[in-house]
Amino acid sequence: MSAVDTASGAASSSKPEQNGQNGQNGGREDPGGFKLKFCTVCASNQNRSMEGHLRLSLANYPVISFGTGSLVRLPGPSITQPNVYKFNETSYDSIYRELEAKDPRLYRANGLLNMLGRNRQVKWGPERWQDWQVGMPRTKHKDDKGADGMEGGVADVVITCEERCWDAVIDDLLNRGSPLNRPVHVINIDIKDNHEEASVGGRAIVDLADSLNKIAAEEREKVGASAFDSGSAGARSGFDERVPDVLAEWQERWPNLPATWTLAWF
Amino acid sequence: MASPVKTPSTSEQMQQLNNARKMAFESPAYFKQIVQGIFPLTAASSPVDLRRWAAEFIAEALACPALRTQEKDDLTISVIDAGALGSLVEAPDQDPLVLKAGIMAAASAYPVVVRWIISNTYHPQSWLAMSAIKSKILSIWEGAPTPVKLCCIKFVQRVILAQTASNGAEPKHSGLDVNLNMITPNQNLLDPRSLEAEAIGLLDRMLGGLQDNGSDVLIVDATLNTLAILARTRPATSNRIINAALNFNPLKLANSPMTPKNKVLIKSMTKTTLSFLGNILRRDPDNPLAPRISQQIQRLMRSRDEIFNEANRKRALPEQAAAGHGDVKRQKTEAAAPQPPLRIQPLAPGPHTLAEVFSLTNNTGLQGFDVTVVPAPLTARINIRTLASLDQGQLDLAINGVRDRLIALYAAAPAVPPVPVPVVGTATAQQAPANSGTAVLGLVDDDDDYEPDLYTAAEDTEQILNKLDNAPPEAPPEQNSEPLALGPFRLPPPPVLNPDTVAKVSQITAMRIFGPLSGLEDPLVRKPKAGLNRLAANSHDRDSWLTLITRLATRSTMGLEDDIKTEADATALGHPQMSLGNLIREMLFNYVLEDWRRRIEVAVAWCCEEWYNDQLAKREGLGAPLNYERCALRLMDGFLSYITAQDKVLTRFLSEIPHLSRELLGRLKGLCSDPTTVQLAMTSLLYLMMFKPPARELALDTVYEIWLEYEDARPLAEKYLRKWRPKLLEAHAAADGVSSGNGSQTMTA
Repeated sequence: MSAVDTASGAASSSKPEQNGQNGQNGGREDPGGFKLKFCTVCASNQNRSMEGHLRLSLANYPVISFGTGSLVRLPGPSITQPNVYKFNETSYDSIYRELEAKDPRLYRANGLLNMLGRNRQVKWGPERWQDWQVGMPRTKHKDDKGADGMEGGVADVVITCEERCWDAVIDDLLNRGSPLNRPVHVINIDIKDNHEEASVGGRAIVDLADSLNKIAAEEREKVGASAFDSGSAGARSGFDERVPDVLAEWQERWPNLPATWTLAWF
Repeated sequence: MASPVKTPSTSEQMQQLNNARKMAFESPAYFKQIVQGIFPLTAASSPVDLRRWAAEFIAEALACPALRTQEKDDLTISVIDAGALGSLVEAPDQDPLVLKAGIMAAASAYPVVVRWIISNTYHPQSWLAMSAIKSKILSIWEGAPTPVKLCCIKFVQRVILAQTASNGAEPKHSGLDVNLNMITPNQNLLDPRSLEAEAIGLLDRMLGGLQDNGSDVLIVDATLNTLAILARTRPATSNRIINAALNFNPLKLANSPMTPKNKVLIKSMTKTTLSFLGNILRRDPDNPLAPRISQQIQRLMRSRDEIFNEANRKRALPEQAAAGHGDVKRQKTEAAAPQPPLRIQPLAPGPHTLAEVFSLTNNTGLQGFDVTVVPAPLTARINIRTLASLDQGQLDLAINGVRDRLIALYAAAPAVPPVPVPVVGTATAQQAPANSGTAVLGLVDDDDDYEPDLYTAAEDTEQILNKLDNAPPEAPPEQNSEPLALGPFRLPPPPVLNPDTVAKVSQITAMRIFGPLSGLEDPLVRKPKAGLNRLAANSHDRDSWLTLITRLATRSTMGLEDDIKTEADATALGHPQMSLGNLIREMLFNYVLEDWRRRIEVAVAWCCEEWYNDQLAKREGLGAPLNYERCALRLMDGFLSYITAQDKVLTRFLSEIPHLSRELLGRLKGLCSDPTTVQLAMTSLLYLMMFKPPARELALDTVYEIWLEYEDARPLAEKYLRKWRPKLLEAHAAADGVSSGNGSQTMTA
């Protein structure tokens, strides 16, 4: 399946935007205009969320990504010997070099080095959701892919890649007590944790992002309160109201990626 | 944040603004400067794009956690005082996005203003402006488009937070900690009571939205996601909120047609409700409503699974297994290839060693491996591990393969000299039937790389084992005709036991029962005694073990005594035998006497068991010998030979054993012949008289006898008798008076 190739292909060709490739996999021309800000979340901020991060950044969306686990866990030589790292303190590059020194054959064969190679092109290291201070200016992440537009340190849409990550995110938001008073759509897309599914999931995430951004841009097009009284029923309502419609349509297109959504607060 | 628009001037302006915004994030000190610079943009007359940008930036600035409390206070008050927030929120026909951002900003500003005004009452304008904004927002709440309504809900949440009393559980320094407790009673601007009343009223309105707009997913989600911190940190709101959430049915929509959108809505509301309830339950498991909450969670999860038939959403096992290969985290380096079915080569014709017959591998290196160099314990472990994980199919294949070889060999046997190996009694070869149909092939002596030397020292162990296997005096299988056929194997019968051995072995067995006692600890904590109903072995301590022993002594042969008696009668002359019970009794007696003062408890427990057993025996009418009296007397005699005046344990023993007899108490009389122990004997009797009414008469009789017989004990005995049997003494006195009166008369006479 081509998805496998793209997962590693994105890593090997570090700047796919430059090869003029168009469409879902490579970068695409930035049409400008309004951009929703996204945040992707998985357990270890390595595979699924990073695939989503890369894809969204290639699609010119402002994006950041996190993991909700207690530690970054990567497969090791056996199921009982995972490689474990601390969030926020370990860079993708150092993990890459460590695993390469440990057993290059194994970690190349199971795709870890490819994945880490991709990740170190995207940002410095895995970040933990629970440690993220929402709203803190992200000025030290300028070189991250998708950093442009994320200076404010907030997102409009959070996309988690696993139900328990969604649960963790919502639980964390409830604990924080929403001091910023800012609505955020938190959407879960169940993606299995392997390279192939992550790649498929990445495309689905971009598809969803495009659909959401379209209605958000439409909301911006309308001017004044009177706009609510004109146009079709769909176009009349605001972005927030149309999210469930967009998600339902998206779900029809991606029936194998069950989605959950709620409107929460930062 | 804001989109560049067509008109160049505005787009240029936007570019500048965006640069300014980035600068503010680089250094939050610029926030105030920039915010003050964009006040004009908030006016209704400015272009809508700029107005949106300004509103959103103000909302962003007022919420920014990078600002210190002081900076935020200054910024917020300046925005309020300048009327910027007012114009954003209060302007008629305001753009919904501007309104949204304005209300978000107001939500952030509200607690800051409340806190500020508490210590700055001299400047009421800010509070009044904020109050006006609040009234405006509350008035547009009802009829606003949904996105604006959401922000109204959030604003109201902040108002309630600020106007109810906190329990201090909220995160500090985020404005969430502003609450009613901060307002001192002498505030002329803020009246805590009316503020709280307003807050509760707003909360009811908010929760009403949950009930009324049960199907408006945005309102429901937005409301539920703001309630957690209220329920957690504002006790006055907690019950109201949780009850409202419990009464909310997120599955109401399930009755309408299951369109894709409805699915999204139902799932969203259910998950959000579950998250909210779960959060409450996790953070406050001791909440009085906790049982109802967990009940509701269960119910919702069940209904949801029914509606979405999600029970089978977990990947089925085959699919999971298939995914296993693509699953990086679970992937092993190389997927274990399915093992090829075992193929067992038939043996080449010719003589073979037994080792060859059982060698399943073709690897000559492995075949040459001498297993005996591996230490036996290790071999045992390897064997156990291997047998435990062995695939049944493979094992069957191997067995059949070896069997086929044996059949082939058997068929070829007449033509070849018998194999000079001891026969091994393995299950594999047991059923090897004769198969004469197997053709005898040419006797080609092929290259035998592997010829284990059966007579080296290394093989000795195996050979000895084999010999032991064959130890029973059975005729060895006829090797000539059936070199490998195996006869049934029987263990040698055990040697016949004679009564002497039985007695000896019983004695040893009984001794072994007492073995653990020395090693067992007394339980650290004294437990209350459970009496006869206690379980013998509820723990491995001395008490339990002793209970076990006393029961073995008293009950083990219960009901068998008859046989033993007759047997004993029969052998009475030759062997004065003891039954097992008596053997144990004997040892128990010795055990108690070894340290009788400390083991008096054991003695009592033993007596109780004996007594109980005697009662049972009597009831059954078995005619079994009764042991209680005998044992109690024996113990008593045992004690008395060591007794001193200080041994009050005697009193205890007498009072605790279940039954007293005249004979038993009679033993006390012996004590009275020694003046030092008189007191002890008499105290014991007195105790029985006072606290053991059934034995009172018996004790008094004994006292009377003592009074009669022992001079030393007379004063004490007389004292007791005077109290308990005055008539007896009077009668005696009368009798004595007559005789002594006569005497004196004669003397004086």
